[in-house]
Amino acid sequence: MRKSDRVSSTLELDGVSRHFGPVKALDGLDLTVKPGELVALLGPSGCGKTTALRIVAGLEITTTGELRVNGVRYNETPASQRDMGMVFQSYSLFPNLTVAENIEYGLRARKIASEQRQKRVREMLDLVDLGPKEKSYPHQLSGGQQQRVALARALAIEPRVLLLDEPLSALDAQVRGQIREEIRRIQIELGITTLFVTHDQEEAMAISDRVGVMSHGKLEQIDTPIALYNSPATPFVASFVGQANRIPAQITAKGKAKVLNQKVNISDNAGSFDEGSQVHVIIRPELLEIASESDTEATRGIVALKSFLGPTTKVGIAVEGAPLIHLNIASRDVRKLEIGDKIAFKISSDEVMAERV
Amino acid sequence: MAERMKKFSLKWPLITLSSFLAFFIFLVPLYGASVYSFKGNGGKGHSWVNYQWLIHQDGFYPSLFTSLKLAVLAGLLNLLLMVPTMVYLNLKGQRYKSLIDFLCILPLIIPVVSLAIGAQVAMPKMLQNSEYELVFFFVIIALPYTYRALDTSLQTVALKTLVEASRSLGASWSRTIIRVIVPAIRSGITGALFLTFALSIGEYTITSLLHWETFPTWTVVAAQQNILGAIAISVFSFVSAIVLLAAIALFAKKRSKRVEVEA
Repeated sequence: MRKSDRVSSTLELDGVSRHFGPVKALDGLDLTVKPGELVALLGPSGCGKTTALRIVAGLEITTTGELRVNGVRYNETPASQRDMGMVFQSYSLFPNLTVAENIEYGLRARKIASEQRQKRVREMLDLVDLGPKEKSYPHQLSGGQQQRVALARALAIEPRVLLLDEPLSALDAQVRGQIREEIRRIQIELGITTLFVTHDQEEAMAISDRVGVMSHGKLEQIDTPIALYNSPATPFVASFVGQANRIPAQITAKGKAKVLNQKVNISDNAGSFDEGSQVHVIIRPELLEIASESDTEATRGIVALKSFLGPTTKVGIAVEGAPLIHLNIASRDVRKLEIGDKIAFKISSDEVMAERV
Repeated sequence: MAERMKKFSLKWPLITLSSFLAFFIFLVPLYGASVYSFKGNGGKGHSWVNYQWLIHQDGFYPSLFTSLKLAVLAGLLNLLLMVPTMVYLNLKGQRYKSLIDFLCILPLIIPVVSLAIGAQVAMPKMLQNSEYELVFFFVIIALPYTYRALDTSLQTVALKTLVEASRSLGASWSRTIIRVIVPAIRSGITGALFLTFALSIGEYTITSLLHWETFPTWTVVAAQQNILGAIAISVFSFVSAIVLLAAIALFAKKRSKRVEVEA
């Protein structure tokens, strides 16, 4: 299966909601995934991302709204007739079938001729590099191999849309990185429209064209990973995507605040605040830097935490009247720093985001 | 002290006790019956004469064949009825589960006489005049055991995700049940088949009340003519049942092991 075999599809969710009694699992989701695009839905547990994916797969019904693929309404189409390839968190390989038979399963259901089936299975095995394992049973494979079989099985049917439901969360860290890159390589190679659900921001940012951050059944923001990180639309996105310090501050004038004895500008995204009101400013650890002892504008504190992360070290500084403040500093610059040392630091960004207390 | 307590295990005393109980309750009577079943004419010497008498009795083969036929049909009908039902209950019908569980236990509560007479009246006329009506009774009396065997097996597999994976790949419900669910719960299905077969082949009360002749009812009549022959019948029934059930269990085990061996 190569790009030309099936034209990539456009997936549209138009005001899609799913209510379970009084609980709104999904609340008016609007989302368009362009042909060949990989969009990740990111959010904490219970935010509605899996419900959205299951609605697209036909495993869940909509309460309101419309689901379209290439402009055709899909709300009433049964799961078995949607042509969606789905990869599950728990692999869900059929334990009584071999690797090749698992991949062939969807093709048999479509009554595709034996010769064609064998050819497609061979292509898929090559694609996920599992040719020698074709006669193995799922229990004889590692977690990573099982998930590659699940991916091959979903792709074998030439789906209109590939749906990935937290496909990496059951794997260990090293394998997760490999499979993540493999999914992206295959997705680009086949040019298949893909919706990827995860709660792991690193995963979402690493392989997606766009990331949609969800909270309480709603899409908070959808944008490229870089835009999402640098220009979060809401305080929730700012704190959920990447690490962030929430530091108490006071509004001194319109668009200005005083935090840790320093003056900062408040970004427009956060809305307006009354002069004198108390807010929390959200500052990423890399926007704080160590200052010299003589710097009068710097904030002073005591090193309370030091976590070596390889190229960078996470330093936690205890400051009076504020929660523990985290900085990400190049490891070579903090080699001599010990817990209990006095330290000065300051905000290196002109503009920060704020939220009401 | 704690170390000594740790070393003390109830495992071996329990195994010894259960072995003694099994020996006295189960094996001693069976051994005694076997010895008597091989007594010669007039109770002297040892020979096959009682078994020869048994197989030459009128009605031996027809009644045995009828029992086997009805037991196989009951096993199949039971699976046909209960596998889709249990799959539905475990997938979507959780709220009906306690009701169905209760209904399936009823055959243990309702006296067999009431069941036989009452249910027969409710049967279509066509079935009332056919020995095949027994198949339905056998299915009913096996329900409490089949329900549990299948339910336990279904609880051990990730039923929901397997079904969803199969459906999202374009498979129909029937293909999903036959190709995915049945192989995944093979042990439960074998158990259910096993129990239905065993209950059906040995069922006496309902068959007798409804005046049909199967191997158990034939046995009662035949046993009145020859006391040593009657003992031979009971040993034959017992050994045949064990051999048949062992064959089913062995077949099921072989099939599930094949999955591992083939690769």
